[in-house]
This record gives sequence, structure tokens and C-alpha cells, in this order.
Amino acid sequence: MRRSVRAFVLVSVLATAAAACGESPAEDAAPAEGDAAPVDLSAFDGAVRIGAALSETGKFAVEGRDSRQGYDTWVRWVNEEYGGIRIGEGRYGAEIVYYDDESDADTAANLIQRLIDEDQVDFLLGPYSSGLTTGTSAIAEANNVIMVEGNGTSDTMFERGFQNLFLVATVASDYTKSAVEALAARGVRTAVIAHEDTTFPTSVAEGARRHLEANGIEVLAIEKYPKDIQDVSAIMTKFRNLGPDVFLGGGHYNDAVLFVNAADELGFEPDAMLITVGPSNPRLVEQLDDDVEGVLGPTQWEATMAYEGHWFGSAADYAAYYQRLWGEPPVYQAASATASALALHLAIEAAGSTDTDAVRQALRALRADTFYGPIAFDERGVNTAKPMGTIQVQDGEILVVAPDAAAVAALVYPRG
Amino acid sequence: MSYFAQALVNGIALGGMYTILVLGFSIIWGVMGVINLAHGEFVMVGAYLAWMASDFWDVDPFISAPVVFVVMLLFGYLVQRVLVNRIIDRSSLVSLLVMFGVSIILQSVMKIAFSADFRLANTDLDGAWRLSDQLTIPVTRFWILVVAVGVTAGLGLFLGHSRLGKSIRAAAQNREAARIVGVDVKKVYAVTFALCIGLTGVAGALISPLLAVQPFQGPPLTLKAFAITAMAGLGSVRGALGGAMVLGMVEAMLALYVDRIGTNLAVVASFVLLVAALVLRPQGIFKGLRHVDATST
Amino acid sequence: MSRAAPGTGAVAGRWPAGRAVGVGALIVLVVLAVLPLLGGTSNATLLTLTLMLTSIGVAINWNLTGGFTGYVDFGHAVWFGIGAYATAILISLQSNGPQVGWPPVPAILVGALVAGFLAAIIGRATMRLKGPYFSIAMLGTFVAVREIVRVWSPLTGGGVGLTLPPYLNRALFYYVELALVTVLVVGTWWLRRTRFGAALVAIREDEVGAETRGIDTTRLKTAVFSFAGLSTGLFGALWAYQNTFVDPDIAFVEVRTIDAVMGTMLGGLGTVAGPVLGAAALYWVRELLWTHLLDAHLLAQGVLLIVIVLFVPRGLVGLVDRRGTSLFELWGWKGWSRGLRQGPVAGGEAEAAS
Repeated sequence: MRRSVRAFVLVSVLATAAAACGESPAEDAAPAEGDAAPVDLSAFDGAVRIGAALSETGKFAVEGRDSRQGYDTWVRWVNEEYGGIRIGEGRYGAEIVYYDDESDADTAANLIQRLIDEDQVDFLLGPYSSGLTTGTSAIAEANNVIMVEGNGTSDTMFERGFQNLFLVATVASDYTKSAVEALAARGVRTAVIAHEDTTFPTSVAEGARRHLEANGIEVLAIEKYPKDIQDVSAIMTKFRNLGPDVFLGGGHYNDAVLFVNAADELGFEPDAMLITVGPSNPRLVEQLDDDVEGVLGPTQWEATMAYEGHWFGSAADYAAYYQRLWGEPPVYQAASATASALALHLAIEAAGSTDTDAVRQALRALRADTFYGPIAFDERGVNTAKPMGTIQVQDGEILVVAPDAAAVAALVYPRG
Repeated sequence: MSYFAQALVNGIALGGMYTILVLGFSIIWGVMGVINLAHGEFVMVGAYLAWMASDFWDVDPFISAPVVFVVMLLFGYLVQRVLVNRIIDRSSLVSLLVMFGVSIILQSVMKIAFSADFRLANTDLDGAWRLSDQLTIPVTRFWILVVAVGVTAGLGLFLGHSRLGKSIRAAAQNREAARIVGVDVKKVYAVTFALCIGLTGVAGALISPLLAVQPFQGPPLTLKAFAITAMAGLGSVRGALGGAMVLGMVEAMLALYVDRIGTNLAVVASFVLLVAALVLRPQGIFKGLRHVDATST
Repeated sequence: MSRAAPGTGAVAGRWPAGRAVGVGALIVLVVLAVLPLLGGTSNATLLTLTLMLTSIGVAINWNLTGGFTGYVDFGHAVWFGIGAYATAILISLQSNGPQVGWPPVPAILVGALVAGFLAAIIGRATMRLKGPYFSIAMLGTFVAVREIVRVWSPLTGGGVGLTLPPYLNRALFYYVELALVTVLVVGTWWLRRTRFGAALVAIREDEVGAETRGIDTTRLKTAVFSFAGLSTGLFGALWAYQNTFVDPDIAFVEVRTIDAVMGTMLGGLGTVAGPVLGAAALYWVRELLWTHLLDAHLLAQGVLLIVIVLFVPRGLVGLVDRRGTSLFELWGWKGWSRGLRQGPVAGGEAEAAS
């Protein structure tokens, strides 16, 4: 009796599994919710097939969704507004095959291999996060498929000599460049750094140290902390005793909360606080209100920046178009995603084909001004033309204060 | 000197936070022999409740905590009736895996309900008291410490002197014997589990202004609870306080006196201590509710 | 799932119809072996199969201690991470300029040996503990090692990790792992029939009794624990090479332990075929079903886990073969559950009550 009950339970579980699989075979290519309008490519002379593995679930689910909306913004625009990618005399529609990588490295690797072999995509767009990009870009490289990305910025992956990896965003080590230069101009003499001990924050912190020293600012201490940290009181106590002009730190959104709270609790009041992840997110400002006043943060892109291009128009135009499609303003992860797809699009047009070697040549030669800023790749495949922006929370608003070309407000220093 | 004083304050504040976080876990393990792998998720649910109170109705977590306690108490009772009752007589692998299943389910449900976005509750009890430029006392953590000490004392009294508390201790020490002398073990377990989940929810409410609330915040908290409980002795109320204080202090000192990697080392230390404590002194430093002989068969 | 079938061969020895099953398993093995030669098998398929073989291999190793000796290792993935890291460190060794990294084959083998060696040392200490205490000590070891790797940056690259030269011969790795899994399955099947294997089960059933019968339990259980560590380390080493990149958070993943436990439970704890069938089934259920559930896939995983544990404790093998050695329900923690079940006879509980 008991055995048969168990058998029944197991069989029904497996049957449900089988049924669920059977019901949704068509979703194989795009298992995510059908928020992207189905693309009708019959009007075009052909299609450019692009693949991307993005995190719909797991720890990068939020940023993964933003990235996907960014890619889909380009797809909608190129097919509906632009009239298709121009290759020779023909106009080609664009389609992106998505998979959910579950924020997991093995899954992402598996899916990228599948996109290359089974979906036979012409090109790849990047996943979200440095960790996933590092693993998947090696597969793209080994299979000679180009991957253009905007949301994996750690320096290490561009030191491997890959030929097929291109980054439209600013590389991690330059995240703090414009902020440090602006602060140096205001007479900052000393700084301390705290960073999460993972790939991306470490790249940011090492870059920050270089930029600080290059600008004659003394780095009094560098502190590392593990991820999932629950208390940073000790770090802030050490820093309080050193009395630096600038505190520079970051890793995760939660770290920003911890830093701001601990600084408040310990009476640590540097003249400037630069937090690498968090301040550009309106939610942090909303939740910590007064405590984040005057805090600085790097940003890849903001809708208020004075960038403009032939495609999508200005940064503000892009933001408006995005808002129309998704009902929310774009965060910079979304803009970076759109810009990656746009860079690929421009290179395909310049090459006049979807041949990997020709498009790689075209990407190397690409010089374009876009809503996202200037795009020009160096020999590593990194876009060095676009500077990193810096925002400051002023009266609860997130305003760009550096570099000068993109600034809409003056840097308030000391933070008050 | 004031540097050391600040280190002490940091350590005690951290210890207070750990105490309130670990009590429920320790007592469930000590009394029922169930290792609640979903502990961190119950903290997380409590934190979400407090965040909702703070965000929707502007209620301070310190005020909503009693309500969170009651809600989580009922939730704990439900989980106990539906699941925990079934696994209590089974091998501990079963209870570990079932509670792990519960933890995944709670993470997933909260993710679907609230998305993975970070939330933060607001409390008026924030900021710091400045004793000097080099010595401050964090207000939120101070009040958490007060609650932790109060709850510890209350639990000690409850277990030591009330009838129900004595039944709980009897059931923890020897279930059969307790049954023979007329203790309703099932009821004792239900009460224990519900009470502990209520407490765990309160812990979540109290830390909701300090740690960002999100569906996946639980596992590191469960690991911390593990480390402290294993060190301190199962179900020992004083042990939870003592172990939490020891760990808080060790972490605070390491983090403050080792340059560059101090905070990293503090995390290493808590788990090296866990393993070392288990291997060298498996019965824990403090005498717990349950006699433990972890090495002999 | 025919791909999972190599394991069923293992049941052959105990099953009257063993010969037929053995032949069937052999056929499946041959099919798996010639699959890449037939053409039309993409690298993606090979990678999928290789990842499946990895999780089967880890589940088999976990079952050696968790299933046979009854020591439930909640930190087994630590050996995977150590194997991966040791290999990555050897391959990416630098000496003032030119790279002097080891060639892959010795690096992978030594990586596995490092894992086995550390397993011997740590197992010696932690296997003195019983029941949940052992489980927690291993969970603690897992986290401690991950954090030590993070702190020890001169050697391990710290939180940034290490990158390896991309060498992605999918077919090669597939064959290597297929061979490894085959050897492990045949090895465990053979082990179950030896006195050594019987002694391991005796440890699970009644460790004190085994000792009084003259079995050197400490040596046996440490030996099998070290072997499991070494073998899982080998899978980790191979994985590192294929992934071309390690950092503490992707090399040391709790999910690897959880999958091994779940797979083994699903298939049948303490059986030869269980971990193979279970891990394969779990892999495909996830691959086919959970990718369609998105957010709900975690929910499904949790529910499935509870359902398996509560309602199918003997696993898939137990459903088919009543004589399967899955003594799951009999097997409790000495001094805990026995004390609870039989009163104060066994453990020290009676004295403790005073």
C-alpha cells in the first residue's frame, strides 16, 4: 500500500514534469515571459540572428531583466523604426534568441554553446555580470563568434588577448576616473578605499587607487571585505581614525546601505563619499533619504547626459522611447545593453556582411557618436572613447556632476 | 584607548544582533533536535513584514515587532503542524532536507511576491550617541541589544520557572521519560517551534533597518546561527548570548586590528571556530538543554 | 532517460535478471561512447552531457560516504572547489614574467591529489563526529575553505580569481568524464561485493558493533572519505579547465552539494545505481522543466525535495527493487533517534537527564 502511494506520487510528479515540457516546446527559444512583441521578419530581405543568455532568475534577475529590455529596445527600434539593418542593398530584420542563465556560470556556459551550435546565431550579446561574461566570452572566443557586451566590465577579461569580445561600457578600473579628477581639482589630499573582494569591485578599487595616486591624492588605507557582509563598523572605525578627505567604497547595493549607516553611527564624516554601486539607483536615495545627501557615485550613463547620435537621437530621446516601450525609465544597465546591440548593428552595416572577420574589422574601425556617448574600441576591445560619468545626490535628486562635458550641476564639496 | 573602547562597543553591538538572531534556532535544535535550515528565511519573512509595516503604514520596526512576533508565531505553528510534526521522529537527514526544502520555497515565494529588489525599513531609533570624537554608540544596535538581553532573560525565566517551560526542558532532555510523567510532547513541540519562529521573526524585524531586505538574505544568517549554536551549546539560552558575544567580539577585534583583510579574516574565523569547536569540544562551551555526545555512538 | 542507464548495470550483480540489465547498460554505454562519432552531435550536446556526467560523478562520490557509511557530508562541494583551484593555480603559475604553468594533464591529476590529501586530513578530524555534527562541521569546512581561498590572494588570486587559457575540446572532456563515471559505477558495484564494502555498510548500521567485530572503522571511513574527496576533486579539476575561469564564488557552490544529495536521495541512498539514475533524472528534469518555470523553478525544486524525502525515501531504485540496500528508514542517528525510539538504553541520554 505505502509503496504504491509512493509510486503514485513519483509518477505524478514526473508526469507533471513531462506534461509541462510537452505543453511548451515552442518556448524553447525564448523561455522568458512574452513581453517582447513577436517579431515579424517576413517583410525583410533576411534576418540577422543574435543570441544572448541573460539572468531571468537568480541573483542577477533584476539587472538581467533591465539588460533584456535594453536589447529588446534595439530590436523593436531597428525593425519598426529604422527599417532593418542595411547589408549591401538589402534590409535585414533582427531577432534575438534568449535563454535564462539562472545567474549560474555552468548554465550560462551551456547556453552560449547551445546558441552557437544549435541556434546557429551569427553574433552574441553579453550576459549580465563580469563573472558570467568571463566564462562565456571564452566559449565565444574558442568558437570564433563575436560577443558585444556592456554589462561585464572587469579588466581581467580584457587581458586575455581575446579577438571577439567588445565592451561598449567603460571598463571597471576607470569607474572612478572622472570623480577622482573632479575631486582632485577641489583640493582633495587623502582618501581611503573599501571594496568587496570579488572580481568587479576589486577591479574598480585597483583602478581607483591608480587614479588617486596619479592625481596626487594619498591613499591612506585599502580594506577588503567578503560578499554577504553584515557589518562594516570595524572598517568605518579604522577610517574614522585616519580622517581622510574622501571615502571610496562599494560592491553591492547592500554595501552602500551598510556604509552609509555605519558612517552615520560612528560619526565618520569625510568631505566626500564615493560609493561605486548604489547611488545612481533612485531606490537607494528614496530609502536612505537624508543620509545619502551629497554621496557621489559612478554611472555609465544617465538620460540627462548631453550625448546625441543619428540613432535613437539624444540620450533623452532614447529614455523617452524606452519609457514608451516598458513603462519605466531606463537604468544604465539597459542603456549599455542597447548600446552594445547598436555597436554591433553599426559594424554589420559598415562591413556590409555578417561575416565574423569582416564585422570584427568593422568593430575595430568603428567611430560613432551615439545617445550612449562616443564609441571607439581599443586593441583590447574596450570602448575607451566614452568617459565614466559621476553623479551626486543633491536635495534628493541624482545629478550628473562630472565629467564637465556631461555635467548638469556643480560638484558640492565638502558634502556639507 | 578609545580605539579599543570603540572595538568593544562594536563587538557588543554585533553580539546583541547575533543573540537575537540565534535564539530561536538554538532552542528548536536543542528541544526538538531539528536543525532549522530555513532559519534565515524565517528571519527574512519577519524582515519583510516589518518593512511592509514601515513602508505602507509608516510604523517603526521596533513598534511593529510584537505584531510580527504574533504573525510569525502563527506561521510557525502552521509549519509545525503541516511539516515538522512529520519529520520529528525521522533521521536528522530527513529534517535537514525538509527544512532546506522549506527554505527554498520561502525564498522563491518571496521573490515572486516582492521581486529581488532590496528594501529597507525606517526606524526613528537611528544615528549615534557621541561620547567623544572617537567613541560613539550606535542607537539602533543599542536597542537591539536591549531587546536581546530582555528576551534572553525572559526566556530563561520562562524555561526555568513556568510549568510549560519545565515541560519543554523535560522533553528536551528525555522525551520518553517526559511522556511517562505526563508531558504532552506533541504540544510542547508545537509551542516551542511556534515561539521560536515568532522570536526569529522579531529578529528579522529588528535588523530590517540595518540589512537590506531581500529574498536571498537568509543563508548567510543561517550559517551564522549554526556557528554560534555549535559553539555555544544546543538550546542553551545563556549560551546563545555568550556565544553571540564571543563571536561578535572576535569578529570586531580581528576586523579592527588586522589591516586590509581584517573583515575577511573575521568571516574565516567564525567558520574555523565553528569547525574547531565541533571537533575539539562538541558539547559546546555552555551547558545546553540537550545533552550532546557527538563523538561516541 | 536512457542516458542514465550505465548505472543500472550495477544492480546486475544483485538482480536475478542481472544479465539482461547488464547487457542493457552496456548498450547504453556503447551508444554514449559512439554518439560523438556519428556526427550531428553538437558541442552544445556534448557540453550538456559532460555537465550531466559531472553531477552524476559528484553524486556517486557523495553516496560513498553519505549512502554507504552514513556520514552525511553537507560540504562535499569543497573538494570540487579545491580540485578546481589547485589545478587552476598550477596551470596559471607565474614566475617573474613568463608563464611557467604546468601542462594540463599533470595539473589536473595533482589538483585531484591535493583534494584527496586535504580530505584525508580534514576527514580524520571531522569523522570523529556523528550525525548532524559531522554534517555541520563539513558545511563549516566548506565555507571556511572558500573564505580562506578568498583571503589567500597571492596564491589564489583572491576574490578576483584566476583565468586559464581557453582550451575547449568538448569531445575530449566528454570521453574523459564518461570513462570516469563508468569506472566509478563499476568500482562501486564491485566495492559493494567486497568485504571492504560490507564493512562500510556495517559502519552505517552500527559503528560500535563493527568496531567490536574488529573492523578498523576510523581507517575505513577516512579512506573512503579521502577517495570521495579525490574523485570529486578530479571532476572539479576537469571543470576548472573547461570553464577557463575560477573565482571563490563559482568554484565553491553549495548547489553542487545540494544536487548530489538530492540526486542520490531521488535515485536511492546507499545503492549503486541510485546516484546515477537520480542525478541524471534531476539534471534532465531541471533542463527540461525548470527552465520553463522561471521564478517558480526554485519553488518546484523545494516542493520536489520535500516530496521525495517524505514520500519516496527509497528513491527510484527502491520503487523497482525491494531488495535495494536503501535502509533509509532504519538508519537513524545513533544516540539521537535510537535514544528517542528505544528509550534510554542506547545513548547517554538517561544520564544526561539528571
